[in-house]
Amino acid sequence: MLLHAAPPLPKEVDLTRTYDAIVVGSGAAGGMAAHVLTEAGLEVLLLEAGKKLDIEAELKSMEWPYDHPRRGQMPYDRHGLSFNEYNFRKPPYADGSPYAKVHSYVQTWSGTDYTKNIVVDEKDHPYTGTKYAWVRARCLGGKTNIWGRLALRLSDYDFKAKSHDGYGEDWPLSYADLRPYYDKVDLYLGISGHAEGLDYLPDSLFQRTTRLNAAEVRLRESLKKSGRVLTPYRAGVTTDGLKHNKYRSKCFGRGACSRRAGGCDIHAAFDSPTGLIYPALDTGRLTLRTNATVREVTMDTATGRARGVVFVDSESGRTFEAKAKAVVLGASTLESTRLLLLSRAAAHPNGLGNSSGHLGHNFCEHVMGPGIGGLVKDLVGKPRTLDDGRPGGFYIPRYRNLKDRQKGFLRGYGFEGGSGAKMINSAADVPGFGSSWKKEVRQLAGAVIDMGGFGEVLPRYESHVDLDPVVKDRWGIPVLRFHYEFGDNEKKMCEDMVATAREIFEEAGIEVLGADHTVLTEGWSIHELGTARMGDDPKTSVLNSFQQSHDVKNLLVVDGSSHVSASCQNPTWTILALAWRSSEHLADQMKRGEL
Amino acid sequence: MKLDRREILKLAAGAALARPVLSGEAAAAANGGRFFSAAEMALFDALSETILPADEHSPGARAAGVTAFVDAQLAQKDPKMPDWAEERKTARDSLAALDGLCREMKGQGFALASAADREAVLTKAAAGESDPKTPAEKAFKWVKGRTAYAYYTSKIGIHQEMEYKGNSLQVEYAGEEPK
Repeated sequence: MLLHAAPPLPKEVDLTRTYDAIVVGSGAAGGMAAHVLTEAGLEVLLLEAGKKLDIEAELKSMEWPYDHPRRGQMPYDRHGLSFNEYNFRKPPYADGSPYAKVHSYVQTWSGTDYTKNIVVDEKDHPYTGTKYAWVRARCLGGKTNIWGRLALRLSDYDFKAKSHDGYGEDWPLSYADLRPYYDKVDLYLGISGHAEGLDYLPDSLFQRTTRLNAAEVRLRESLKKSGRVLTPYRAGVTTDGLKHNKYRSKCFGRGACSRRAGGCDIHAAFDSPTGLIYPALDTGRLTLRTNATVREVTMDTATGRARGVVFVDSESGRTFEAKAKAVVLGASTLESTRLLLLSRAAAHPNGLGNSSGHLGHNFCEHVMGPGIGGLVKDLVGKPRTLDDGRPGGFYIPRYRNLKDRQKGFLRGYGFEGGSGAKMINSAADVPGFGSSWKKEVRQLAGAVIDMGGFGEVLPRYESHVDLDPVVKDRWGIPVLRFHYEFGDNEKKMCEDMVATAREIFEEAGIEVLGADHTVLTEGWSIHELGTARMGDDPKTSVLNSFQQSHDVKNLLVVDGSSHVSASCQNPTWTILALAWRSSEHLADQMKRGEL
Repeated sequence: MKLDRREILKLAAGAALARPVLSGEAAAAANGGRFFSAAEMALFDALSETILPADEHSPGARAAGVTAFVDAQLAQKDPKMPDWAEERKTARDSLAALDGLCREMKGQGFALASAADREAVLTKAAAGESDPKTPAEKAFKWVKGRTAYAYYTSKIGIHQEMEYKGNSLQVEYAGEEPK
């Protein structure tokens, strides 16, 4: 439900005018650029490839399963890809499928009827090369409509990682540079959490924290003995409300937030439409065009500056060109890079802004899969508590390669986890049947605790994407080809995740029910990063520290493509802070006539 | 993006909730379901109520309408799709396997067997649950998985049996703030 209806879209895109800026993509990055640039007084055209969904009709986190004809499952003429399909077949995964639509693996979770129109149909959006679980959402707001909401800051252990361990490159900025923008993001969008005072996971300006249940408290206390921290899930959720935003409610702990997938229908959790784009529309300076698939950044050959973009109407297939003084790409990691590769021209034969040869390279992300499940025995059979209605359980930040130096691998990982009874119970995992089994399922439900690791994948030059010479998407646009796989560092790190998770549980007196060694397919974390990295040296990087192309000054890439390394912290909050900083810088430059 | 651990385990196992297929003739007999025949409806009902019986704590599978939901799901699954053709076949084969085991052990079909006989048959079928090998063991796992999903997503399963407290207004979050 929306507190206030979305603002109308009064303005049609005007192809005869030159906008101050064109922003491509309406997720976290593009939404933030649209917000900051319109606030600064600029006239902005925002282009989104997908539809403007009636999001209120999609997200129903409060709907009971039994009130839905298929108990929340998507229609049976659609298919969600499985782990096995990703691993034993090669992309394009939807090739030859008899299903009406084929979706990425997120459509194999529970509650998939609520996200079926948000994630793309793989048939329309093929890709090729090495195996990769690429999750894409083409609609207003993109993946922010369904994101996991864990909102973490990076620290100088991340920004200055090369200085710390010698691998890769440092970012061309430090925590001190970005901290004021993290603060702005915290205050403008709202974040829930508990301050811990850690230099490797800086605190945000937190609103009211969610709480821990008994099993989680036990684990937190136990971890203190080894100097490790378990903190309540730091969530991009406003728990106290935002006076300046009429489109978002504060969190009422209502809803089956543990049900995957599905967004927050009171918009307490940040999503780009209600958090950034509707307020930007209210300035009167934003023109929003959905169903606009950008296929090329156009150049003014006389000046060497970007002139605008060519976009295809996603429904009619008709092609248009829009013009602007600056072009800001926020189409998502990989899609922004694809767009630069597609914008090859005589002056840029290897892709626009690619004089360094690094465009498409240094691809990185988070590796996930390994984890553990356990039982807190003295909670078995205790009266039911309310464990749902919160965006997540807990986060255990990185503890590897901070002061220590691990033998097997560089960098680190954190754990996401939780405990407690959920709306939909996975009873079939408990062996047995009959009344005694039914009772056991009931008594175990609140006593199980689990967690899984998210680890930093190193940004290797050879990990890259390029354009497939043959395969095209539904609109006739060449698709990406992946050349990417986890390496030895990731494998060693994953082994440490499981071994240490077991130690952590045993130390806390939690009985280990099962340890999972499976490393999920590349891409599974939905944290793809890099491929157009920032840097001070134009010979080894694509963008400067304000996410501007070294080669084309009025061209920016404000999404995760710009990240120099992946860190092990979830990237969304950093994407937002960087986009804010760069957009502010762009607006200042334009006001000073520097562009 | 957070992925629930128990969901990871399922996915990694390659769809642990087996995706059933085929049987072109869905000629459900009179008084049958939309997919199951009348005899199959009665059989699934007996199996699911044995797996999730009514007891002093809460009503069981029958009261929760488990058989009707499973039948309706199967009926909606287009057998032209390979997964669904397989699931439909698995459904019929599973019922036949468990009924067959009952005939073998007790000399009559499961739907007519006594409560004690039903328990004995499912105890045998459940013996290999962690690594099912025989048709009856595989059948048990399938029927149990379908039954559990239908039951624990029902009104009775969520509220009466599990006493789920969520999806309700919270002025303050439950639990403890970290110290």
